[in-house]
Amino acid sequence: MSALTIDEMSRSDSVKGSWAVETHGLTKRFGDNVAVNDVELLVPRGCAFGYLGPNGAGKTTLIRVLLGLTHADAGTMSLLGVPVPRHRDRALARVGAIVDEPRFHGHLSGRQNLEILAAAREREARGRIASSLERVGMTQRADDRVSKYSMGMRQRLGVAACLLGDPQLLILDEPMNGLDPAGMHEMRDMILSLVAEGRTVMLSSHLLDEVERTCDAVAIVDNGKVIRQGPIAELLAGAAMEVHVDCSSPERARTILAATTLGEKIDVETTGLSIHLPSGAGRDAIAEINRLLVEDGISVYRLEELQVSLESWFLQVTSRLGDSE
Amino acid sequence: MTTVSNDPAVSVAALANGVPSDNRGSWIPNGAMIRTRIMELRKRRGLMAALIVVNIGIPTIFLTVRLIAHAVAPKSYGPAGGYDIFTTLVVGIMFVFGFIVAATLGCTAGSVDLTDGMFRHMVITGRSRLALYFARIPAGLAIIIPLVAVGFTIVCAVCVFAAPTKLDYQGVSVPPGLSASGFNNWAESHPKVAICGLPFKGPNGVPCYVNGRGQARPYPGTPGLSKLSPAKLKADALLVAKENYSAYERTFLYPSNALMIKTGLWIELEAIIGFIVGLGLASLMGQRTVPVVLMIVLEVILTPLFSHAAIPHLINAQRGLVGLAMAHLEPGGLPRGFGGGGGGGGVSQLVPESATVGVCVIIAWLVGWTALGAWRMVKRDA
Repeated sequence: MSALTIDEMSRSDSVKGSWAVETHGLTKRFGDNVAVNDVELLVPRGCAFGYLGPNGAGKTTLIRVLLGLTHADAGTMSLLGVPVPRHRDRALARVGAIVDEPRFHGHLSGRQNLEILAAAREREARGRIASSLERVGMTQRADDRVSKYSMGMRQRLGVAACLLGDPQLLILDEPMNGLDPAGMHEMRDMILSLVAEGRTVMLSSHLLDEVERTCDAVAIVDNGKVIRQGPIAELLAGAAMEVHVDCSSPERARTILAATTLGEKIDVETTGLSIHLPSGAGRDAIAEINRLLVEDGISVYRLEELQVSLESWFLQVTSRLGDSE
Repeated sequence: MTTVSNDPAVSVAALANGVPSDNRGSWIPNGAMIRTRIMELRKRRGLMAALIVVNIGIPTIFLTVRLIAHAVAPKSYGPAGGYDIFTTLVVGIMFVFGFIVAATLGCTAGSVDLTDGMFRHMVITGRSRLALYFARIPAGLAIIIPLVAVGFTIVCAVCVFAAPTKLDYQGVSVPPGLSASGFNNWAESHPKVAICGLPFKGPNGVPCYVNGRGQARPYPGTPGLSKLSPAKLKADALLVAKENYSAYERTFLYPSNALMIKTGLWIELEAIIGFIVGLGLASLMGQRTVPVVLMIVLEVILTPLFSHAAIPHLINAQRGLVGLAMAHLEPGGLPRGFGGGGGGGGVSQLVPESATVGVCVIIAWLVGWTALGAWRMVKRDA
């Protein structure tokens, strides 16, 4: 996975300075509840972008606002460099999206549902029906009624519907919902292949492991606000680091380190210490821990820098926000 | 589970903003949208079955039974067709039930995208929401108008080709299509039948009747016509004929071509109104069941009630009822569907309204409900 900054990712695109999705001060209220709160979001072109947040954080609402399914109360936004809602017809012409659970006319076949959707798009869209169905592995069941489809098959049909417009940008809201492990694997491969073709995929999900495997960059949303965004590697590099120290006297080592500012949280374990370093602490801090312990006569057998997962970072970031509030 | 192909079967578009020039923002729907909308409605088997049964099935079954009954026992069962059967079927069944099934189709067309979850997919295409709404109008009309036309054509065909050969006017067999003088001549040549069989309000009423074989007979215990001179009989028969001619000239063996054309257009208009209003109402409410119930209540309860009971303070509101406007546009020559109308005999009991006002009311309903439905479609959160 690349470690490009958002600016670098954007510059790699043929349309310099133009984002796949760009919002400024975007706000959507439902009565007193602010579902989308002054959101500043930049999604680079040509990458898989994860949009993460806990349940009720406002992920789906932001997507609905972007797609013109509901109106924004304040702010500006653009899709593929085209301002919406002013030019939503032009913007959405090259956008495909699944919002919430994909539902279709149950009395019609998958192919007939796609024919209806293709009719609302350009003339060429009808010619893409067969290839879209083939791409999501639905050719064999395309003429069955949708009412007989499983949830996973409807998800696939939803993706096929997205592909009718030959989209430059796909916005997928929880696309892994209802899929079995094999289906999730296939969906992940398909998303990656779409990105490889130069399309942008914006993926909303709460399955952090899947996002980490699929996406290049993410934005974290909580209580309607985007609290972090950027390439995953860049974000995790700035996350609090955890170090495991295998040493001869863990209790004494903890006492020594507690007197310093090297560890935010120090836990004694059976095989040594687990130390959460402060946010932004570099690898020098690990060397300093080693030096202090050795100078105090403690034998250090092993120092292990634990990889911070997106999940643990996500929990840190969102819980930190919760604590501050 | 089938395997997802990684082959880029769908080629990526040029990354420059290659936006197709398909007038996606226009409010005018394209032909493909209308065609696929017709397909979507046509594939609803239950709804289509109901439409066919009411518009074609019921009249066809009724006429078939009458044809068979008349063929088997012609003395007990009259001819299957004729003017009376035509008016009974058109006003009694096709007008009212045609409206209801057209409204049901309209309510379905106006709400299924929402209830089936397709509305969101449609909006995401970037197509104008107005175009999405307006595509439903020609699609629905392309279904309901031919259905009504087929049913009506069957009724017309049977009523013309299986019409009685003799005119039964007030229970008396009279030659059809006579002029006033011809009718008088017939009465003078059949004075006893005319005097005893036709209704007469004058002073020369005679206690007699015409039996099943068309013969004049005195009531038991009365002298009947035997004591009247031939000249007196002719004079009385002429009086009776003159009083009955205006009613006789509106009695036909079968409906005229002009009446059939006007009636066909009239029930088509009723079906169109049912569809358009149902479409707008369902789009406004976002569901199907309640609008269908409301449409039935409008047609079966509110319209008959407020078309007759004039309430002075609400008279103008009553005139705004589309059913009343349609009743006033009823073709001359039909009996009144709701006790009034254009050409039926007797005194109209409808709340009075000019034809011009009636036309304006109908246009207002069509335009108004279309505007409301389209407005809701544009403003609705998807």
